[in-house]
Amino acid sequence: MTEIQTDLPKQPVPFRGGGFRPRPIRFVGLAVFIVLIALIEWGVRAGWISNLTLPRPSDVLATFGELYRTGALWDHLSISLSRLVVGSAIGVSAGIGLGILIGLFSLIRAGLVPLVAAIFPIPKIALLPLFVIWFGIDEGSKYALIALGTFTPTVVATYGAVENVDRTLIRMGQSFGLSWLSIVRKIVLPGAMPGILSGLRISLAIGIILLVAAEMLGATHGVGAYILQAGSLYDLERLFAGVTILSVLGVTVSFLIGQVEKHLLDWRV
Amino acid sequence: MRLNRRQAVTLMGGTAAAAATALAAPAIANTPLVVGALRFTSHAGTFTAFERGYFAEAGLDVELRFFDAAQPMAVAIASGDVDYAVTAMTGGLISLANRGAVRVIGGALQEEPGVTGQKFLVSDAAFQDGVTSTAALDGRRFAISQAGSSFHYMGSKMAAAENITLNYTPLQSVGNIISSLRSGQVDGWAIVPHIALALGGSGAVHIIGDVADYLPNYQVTTVFTSTANANDEREMTENFLGAFSRGVDDFNAAMVDSALGDGGRDEMVRLIHNYVYTDREYDAAAPSIINGSMRLTPGAALNLASLQDQFDWFKSEDLIDQDIAFETVVDTSYVETI
Repeated sequence: MTEIQTDLPKQPVPFRGGGFRPRPIRFVGLAVFIVLIALIEWGVRAGWISNLTLPRPSDVLATFGELYRTGALWDHLSISLSRLVVGSAIGVSAGIGLGILIGLFSLIRAGLVPLVAAIFPIPKIALLPLFVIWFGIDEGSKYALIALGTFTPTVVATYGAVENVDRTLIRMGQSFGLSWLSIVRKIVLPGAMPGILSGLRISLAIGIILLVAAEMLGATHGVGAYILQAGSLYDLERLFAGVTILSVLGVTVSFLIGQVEKHLLDWRV
Repeated sequence: MRLNRRQAVTLMGGTAAAAATALAAPAIANTPLVVGALRFTSHAGTFTAFERGYFAEAGLDVELRFFDAAQPMAVAIASGDVDYAVTAMTGGLISLANRGAVRVIGGALQEEPGVTGQKFLVSDAAFQDGVTSTAALDGRRFAISQAGSSFHYMGSKMAAAENITLNYTPLQSVGNIISSLRSGQVDGWAIVPHIALALGGSGAVHIIGDVADYLPNYQVTTVFTSTANANDEREMTENFLGAFSRGVDDFNAAMVDSALGDGGRDEMVRLIHNYVYTDREYDAAAPSIINGSMRLTPGAALNLASLQDQFDWFKSEDLIDQDIAFETVVDTSYVETI
């Protein structure tokens, strides 16, 4: 039997590695957007999409231009951005801090995981009237809503990420005689970073969603207030202009996190 | 359900026959209609016409559908889910009219000197701080549900008359406004009397003025329908308005003019209580319903001066397109105008 095998012609083995690794392809995302928008523009102009259903994208663009020219865009955007930045900075930093503590210490984990699980499913919007009483109708209640909304997903993502750090790496560090603090700093935190950052994508998207909710009560300026007003006036052009701003905000945040990932995770092979 | 051929033919024949009967006798056939309403005393015209069978007598098979706010009703008319509804002429309603979806065809709730009407309120904190008249609200927070709501209009008109500026605070819903007013987060508000008097009695809120002093003949709510109904379903729309007006007359006689004595009034309160304050006992609900009874315009007549004033205000606040014509929104061909 061994003879037959040696008689076989040598077959070159093709390289089967590679793949399963996302690679950037430029302009495809852009093309999808353009085709979709062109389709809507054509549909509304031709009339097979009623003007009650969707606005003309060109009208939305004109509304956007008007917002930019009158300076109203910055009025709304700057105030919303400050709410988003302050609120999510509080929520995310508290969330990452607590998440790491939960991941590292069993006692904290035993005490706080049920509490986080209890807070997570509460619709934060339902608590808005309560926040108004607690923190006042001005910026306080808005920060609190966004902070609480971004806090819970960050905690869950962070302690999950800390738990998923490769135990063999930790054991290796221990056998090399690293101190506890060194292990946390050099193995646990870098190892948890991918999970924390992908959790951040979700938390910040939730922060943007809650921006609209936060501006429901007592806000006259801000992208969320603008959208709500447009909705109640059934002004579709303004509604979509506002929604577009939020989408762009989401894309920007996602891009920024991508940059942070590139920078912080360049140790990954 | 699976049909064999014979059953299918029978069914088709039956449908055709039913359609033929319906076409042959339109006055007798019941036209199915959906009428939108809020659980407010100001919608009593609809409730009365429904309960006393005036809609049925007019050949309309009415189904009531309830909403939480005025704005969704206008959208529901535009989407075709509701045929007729009664609510304030909001910015959203005008925008939908401009898109060819809805039209105002009649008037409903109105302010009338001598009849308890809408009130200006202030929170207790503001009252203790010296805001005891509407003029003292200068620079204070005035609660509105949304820009372009009737609260915004009333506040704006009062501010213009008193030559003060108000800090309008959008709070989306009446519930939010009431809790913010009770806790002193906002200072002022204007609202229909049954809510105003109930809040004023609690001590957390004080009544400081009447809306009628600033807007004597304010037509607060209007009857509206889809453009398709207004233009193409004349007979049905006339029948609806006729039946609705009978309900309005009964309501005014019993509640506003007290022409039917206490018995007539209590009978009407009982009828309204089927729809309004259903979560309260009759004895607790009755005073609120009686307090909340403002006149509904007889014959659903349109007060063009008031509506035109509201319309111009929307334009001056840049809440609606500058080139919308009043005639696009209001169809004056159905009812009398004042």
